[in-house]
Order: sequence, then C-alpha cells, then structure tokens
Amino acid sequence: MAELVGAFATSHTPVMLNLPDALSEADRNTIYRHFQQLGKSLAALKPDTVVVVSDDHLHHFFLDNFPAFCIGTGDAYPAPAEHWLRAERQTLKGDSRLGAHLLGEALAADFDPSFSMQLTLDHGVLTPLILADLAASVTLVPLLINCVQPPMPTMSRCLQWGRFIGEAIRSYPGNSRIVILATGGISHDVATPRMGMVNEEFDREFLRLLGTGDDRALIRHATDRVNEAGNGAEEIRNWMVAHGAAKGAAFHVHFYKAVPSWYTGIALVEWRLRE
Amino acid sequence: MIRNWQQDMPSVQAYWINRILYDVHHKQGHLQQYRDDADAYMKDIPLPAEIKSLIRDNEVGKMYLAGANPYLLRAHCLGVKIPEHAFLASLRAVAGEARRG
Repeated sequence: MAELVGAFATSHTPVMLNLPDALSEADRNTIYRHFQQLGKSLAALKPDTVVVVSDDHLHHFFLDNFPAFCIGTGDAYPAPAEHWLRAERQTLKGDSRLGAHLLGEALAADFDPSFSMQLTLDHGVLTPLILADLAASVTLVPLLINCVQPPMPTMSRCLQWGRFIGEAIRSYPGNSRIVILATGGISHDVATPRMGMVNEEFDREFLRLLGTGDDRALIRHATDRVNEAGNGAEEIRNWMVAHGAAKGAAFHVHFYKAVPSWYTGIALVEWRLRE
Repeated sequence: MIRNWQQDMPSVQAYWINRILYDVHHKQGHLQQYRDDADAYMKDIPLPAEIKSLIRDNEVGKMYLAGANPYLLRAHCLGVKIPEHAFLASLRAVAGEARRG
C-alpha cells in the first residue's frame, strides 16, 4: 500500500508575489529561504504525489455552487486563476488516479465531497509551490476546503477529514509515496477594517497546540478564537487536515513571524512522520 | 471585537454585489466592458442605484459593509489597481460600523 511520507503546512498570501517590497529585504529573504528549504525537505522525501490542502478564493467557485470540500480528480490544473497575480501562467500536473481513490474512499466513509476534473487553481496552491521551487516538479491532488465564505465546515470536521485522508492514502494500492502540504493562514485579515492586524498570540498558541496532541484544546482554540485572528485565519481548516492525517507525528515549527507588512502571520511547519 | 464576517450567510443583495466583482475579473472581456462604462455594465443587475454607485466609485469600505465577500473585494481592488493606501483607508474608515460580537 501507499505510504504517507511527509506532512507540511505553510502560510500563503498573494502579496508574497505581488508586493514583495512591502517587507524589508532581510525579512523577505529569510521567508523565501525557509520556503526553499521546505521545498528541499519535501522533495527529499521523493513523493510521487503531493495532496495540496488549500482553498479557492472565489476564483474558480462562486456562490452559485460552492462546495465545502472538493477533491480534484483531473490530470492537469491551470494556474493561477487570478489575472492580477504576478506569477507565470502554467499547468500543474495532477494525479487523477489518486484523486479518484480519495473521492471513492471518502464517499464510502460517509464523507460527502464534491469533485472536479477541471479546476483552475489560485494563489493558495500556486504561491507556496513557486516559492518552494516545486511548481514544475510535483504531481498533485488538490483538496479544496471552503475557508472563505460562510457558512463553512467546522474545525472539528476538518480534523476528521485529516484523519480520514491519512487512512485513505495508506489504503491506496501500490507503493506510492505521498506527501500532504496544507497552505493558508495563519492570523490575518483580508479586506476588513482590521487588515494589517496580525494576532501573534493566537498564532503561537495554535502552533503550540499542534505540537501537544491535545486535539480537543486545538479544536476549541481554533473554533472559539478564530474571530480574534481574522477572516484569513479561517484557513487553519487546511492545517487541521494535515494535522489529522499526521496522527500525532512529531511536530516542528521551522519558522514563524508576525508580518504585518504582508498582512499575515507567516509560518512553515512539518509533521515528521518517520521520526 | 470586529467579527470575521459581516454576514453569516450572504444576502441576496450580497450575491449580486459579488456577482459583479466575480464576473468582472473572471469572464472574458468583462473587465474591459466594466472599465469602459461601469454603469452600463451593471444596468441589468438587480441592485439599488446607491449600491451600484458604491461599486462604480470604489467605495471599498461601504462595499464591505454591504456584504461584499472580502476576498472578492480584495481581488477587485488589485484587479482594477486601486492604490493600496486608498484601499486600506477606505476599510479603516468604516471600522466603527463593522459587525462586532
């Protein structure tokens, strides 16, 4: 059966590409260097496929049909969806076979995702892959969670999804090596009067709880205090999936810094599944 | 404390505001049509004239209060190149009216 060989999470924001100069050169280079290091660590695991857990920012989906969870089952994903994102137009490779496996297992396990064979992906997926030098090399299955338009799935449900995804990957026939990469968050506000506020205390407690194994406290923090951390912090749902899939593996924070100039708490983390 | 969202479920009015913001940036040719004549572009959209004026005049903060999805609002401002300082100032000007709790 396949093996889940790694799990990572990173913040994402379009300003990483669109407004790089809003940040001091030293801070910008430090963050970019950590993304490159994460890319090297991920690539060193020699994954056949990366399950990228992220969210569509109302570029592909709209209010006429907005899934809570959507699994990509295509073999190619154009990106970015945003005409204004400073990123080269490209096509990311997709693993339709693994996507179909995850979809079938989800429905058999009483989860009810939608699926799409023709997704256009946005900065949520593309920006971390570009900064980690992975966009051209990885084959991916996107799992997109609604973190951007209420009503949204609960934090608890996302943790359940993570536990499920981990098991579904491990039941995939063959010897594939799979990595999970969650992107988004952590504390930030997008287009609200608080934009530019970063709640470092929320972020540091969230990161601490990810490492404790106390999932009840993690869910309570994520659920009860997300309004203190901004609408962009709703993307920690994606992190909950990676955390659930990692099943309590050793957790390492490679980098954290509150970066108000990029409007975001920037973190890069890893669950070391082989320690 | 300002809450993360103005609306827990988008109103019908918010739907149409968002429909405009989405279509302008995702449908072929719509951005140019909007730039050429925003009033004509929005003519058949079932929104009150004062809401259409907010959109046309880039009243970012008031669009936020009216229920524009923040991500669509942010993308719109980047897409039509509203200066960053004006975008932020417009949002901060309505802080006192934002939903709290």
